[in-house]
Amino acid sequence: MSGVPLIHVVDDDDSLRTSLLRLLREAGFDVQGYGSTGEFLLHPHGDRAGCLLLDIRLPGPSGLDLQSVLHEHGVRLPVVFLTAHGDVATSVRAMKAGAVDFLTKPVGREQLFDAVRRALDRDASDRNARHDSNQLHGRFAALSPRERLIFDRVVAGRLNKQIADELGVSERTVKAQRASMLLKLRVETVADLGRLADQLTRSRDP
Amino acid sequence: MKARWSLQRSGRGTVVSLIALLSVHAFAEQQTRNVLALYANARTLPANIEADHGLRAALADTQARHVEVYSEFLDVPRFSGPSYAHTVATFLGNKYAEHPPDVIFIGGSDALAFALVNRSLMFPTVPMVHAGVPTPFLKSLGKLPADVIGDPMEVDSLRTIELAFRLHPKATQLILVTGAGDFGKAWETRLRDEAPRFPSRATPHFFAKMPTETLRERLAALTGDAVVFTPGYFIDGDGHGTTPHDAATFVASIAAAPVYGPYATFIDTGVVGGYAPNFYEIAYQAGGYVNAVLDGADPASMSSTYSTPTALNIDWRQVERWGIEPNMIPKDAYIQFREPSLFEAHRVEVFTAAGVIVLQSALIISMFVERRRRHAAERLLETRGLELAHTSRVAIAGELTASIAHEINQPLGAILSNADTGELILESDADRRDDLRAIFADIRRDDLRASEVIRRLRTLLDNHQYERAPFQINDVVSDVSSILSVEARRRGMMLDIPRSSADATVVGDRIQITQVLINLVLNAMDAVCDLPEERRWVVVSTHVDGDRVTVEVLDRGNGIAPEHLPQLFDSFFTTKLKGMGLGLSIARTLVTTHGGRIWAENRTAGGAIFRVELPVLTSAQGAANSA
Repeated sequence: MSGVPLIHVVDDDDSLRTSLLRLLREAGFDVQGYGSTGEFLLHPHGDRAGCLLLDIRLPGPSGLDLQSVLHEHGVRLPVVFLTAHGDVATSVRAMKAGAVDFLTKPVGREQLFDAVRRALDRDASDRNARHDSNQLHGRFAALSPRERLIFDRVVAGRLNKQIADELGVSERTVKAQRASMLLKLRVETVADLGRLADQLTRSRDP
Repeated sequence: MKARWSLQRSGRGTVVSLIALLSVHAFAEQQTRNVLALYANARTLPANIEADHGLRAALADTQARHVEVYSEFLDVPRFSGPSYAHTVATFLGNKYAEHPPDVIFIGGSDALAFALVNRSLMFPTVPMVHAGVPTPFLKSLGKLPADVIGDPMEVDSLRTIELAFRLHPKATQLILVTGAGDFGKAWETRLRDEAPRFPSRATPHFFAKMPTETLRERLAALTGDAVVFTPGYFIDGDGHGTTPHDAATFVASIAAAPVYGPYATFIDTGVVGGYAPNFYEIAYQAGGYVNAVLDGADPASMSSTYSTPTALNIDWRQVERWGIEPNMIPKDAYIQFREPSLFEAHRVEVFTAAGVIVLQSALIISMFVERRRRHAAERLLETRGLELAHTSRVAIAGELTASIAHEINQPLGAILSNADTGELILESDADRRDDLRAIFADIRRDDLRASEVIRRLRTLLDNHQYERAPFQINDVVSDVSSILSVEARRRGMMLDIPRSSADATVVGDRIQITQVLINLVLNAMDAVCDLPEERRWVVVSTHVDGDRVTVEVLDRGNGIAPEHLPQLFDSFFTTKLKGMGLGLSIARTLVTTHGGRIWAENRTAGGAIFRVELPVLTSAQGAANSA
């Protein structure tokens, strides 16, 4: 799986970046530093758990730019922003775009660790949710076209008989396919099925 | 080109104009219209007196009303510079507040430039009629406001050349001496265009941009079959600056052939003469426009398409020197320096001169009073200027808050993290002296980095006294670079300050010059900050030219609206939402106190360019200073 989390620090100020890496390393985190957004993007980091400590103002594309690019590419690393001069507008924009925190330099140890821990927690729970939803999608993908038709109608509250009429098959066939569908989705009751349908719809939206 | 109202004839007009000045009060009870005549040069310049005469003659053509003519003289070039102009404009605005002019009559290029630049300070809505402004200068101003009208003053080179060949029947070689720069280029082009119309026996030789030594040899080697024509030049073939007048003097003193020139100012430099603008006629013609405006005509609807008449001036001493046949000289020529006839022709003036001197003394006294008042105003501006300069620096620091905070918080952040790490290491009980040593070294380095930022800021903010010391212009430019590079990055733009090989020593207050440049760069940054990335670009460069150094700040913005150019350096003029409009006005004051000048223009490639020109401390002055 994703293993020990890695904390990515993107800051163009060499001495600030070095000091942050040193502090986080001392506190037992795995860390990796980058001098620019481009350097971060060029560096393959796979799907390893972790979070991103990101300076707002960087040469070339800014931290906010990186945040939105990562989002577009489906990279879900939680972001903690660091800034030397935070203005309200920028922080609102960052938080709206899903940042975990927005810290103004100089940042104290406890404040930093606290933000990093929350970011890692969020990463972990995001990963769990993604894991669940991936499984769910996998199970749903295993349904045959016919079973999906029945799934839609059961979720919509139709009775077997109505479904049989609509699809032009016998009620027995509907029953058999419905049982197979429930088995593939690993649910037993119609109520569970409803909840699952709900999860599926929600996880489809970003 | 900046031809000035110039010395032309002896002071025949003086008496008439002074009498006119004194007698106008007799009509004061009539319905009175006011005309303010603003001349570029000194009050006693014959050209101005003739122009005054011509203007009054034109105004007298309309009997129905009484026109009060007030005359003012900028006295360029003895007095000049933006702070002088500002002071005079403010003064004129106040002086004539009780008698506001209905029309302003402008005499000469410098007066027109002055009136356009300072229009906001004195009667911005009053129509202006200009006279005696040469075509090239008018063109250089671009499109004038609709209520500023007048005929361009044309210079008649072809007629002068024809005359030269008539006066020297044996001449076959025509030597055309022009210099470098825009003026030289314009003249050379013009003469080449006119060449097909030169007299048929003339073979033109263009002595254009010729190095001074070569020119000296070639002119000295001329023979009896040559005549020389020169419009003079502002820049010689070696790149040195001069004036057309001095250039004509040089050419005439060297040339082994008669020299002709198209400007009245050249008379008495050694040239024989030439057709030059006639100031009486020019002012009379312009007076027609003044009448029309007073009659209620809309100045915007008047087109100025006529050019102005010229008159022939001849230096009699040159006629004798080159053996010119007197009968060949046209009858309408103004013959100058023909002693006996001059005395005979002007006997009346000689007797009235005594009376004139009395009147002039009165005028001179009043000029002294005016001058003292002006000096007092300038001194006030200087002390106020120092306070304002400081206020403006504080404002700059305010604008830079974000980048200063960034510059200080970066090292502070690093220091805090390093101290936190150090504590963690101590808590771990392990002996890790080397790690701690590295941490302390980093803390010290970052601390010094932060204090350097503060030191720089403090230098800028201290309310220090004006200091006068030599400094290197490149040091100032690199200060500007280090103060603003973070701000440029914050705004996501390119600030290009290449280290220049051109360096120069300037004497003055280094902080003030730094402030001026910061101000210009910040303005440039403001001008481009909302534009696409490839246009968010500002360049600062330095050029040394002889005893002047110029620092240029150039941007790729939208340039300066032409209607804003004249007011750019005025107090409280701003196009910014949150600007006070003091930055450039203070910059101008500071540059002027350093004996320099500051100006702005639009680049043809788009964007604006601001230039600060300062006098360079030459090695001789440096030695004198240190002695």
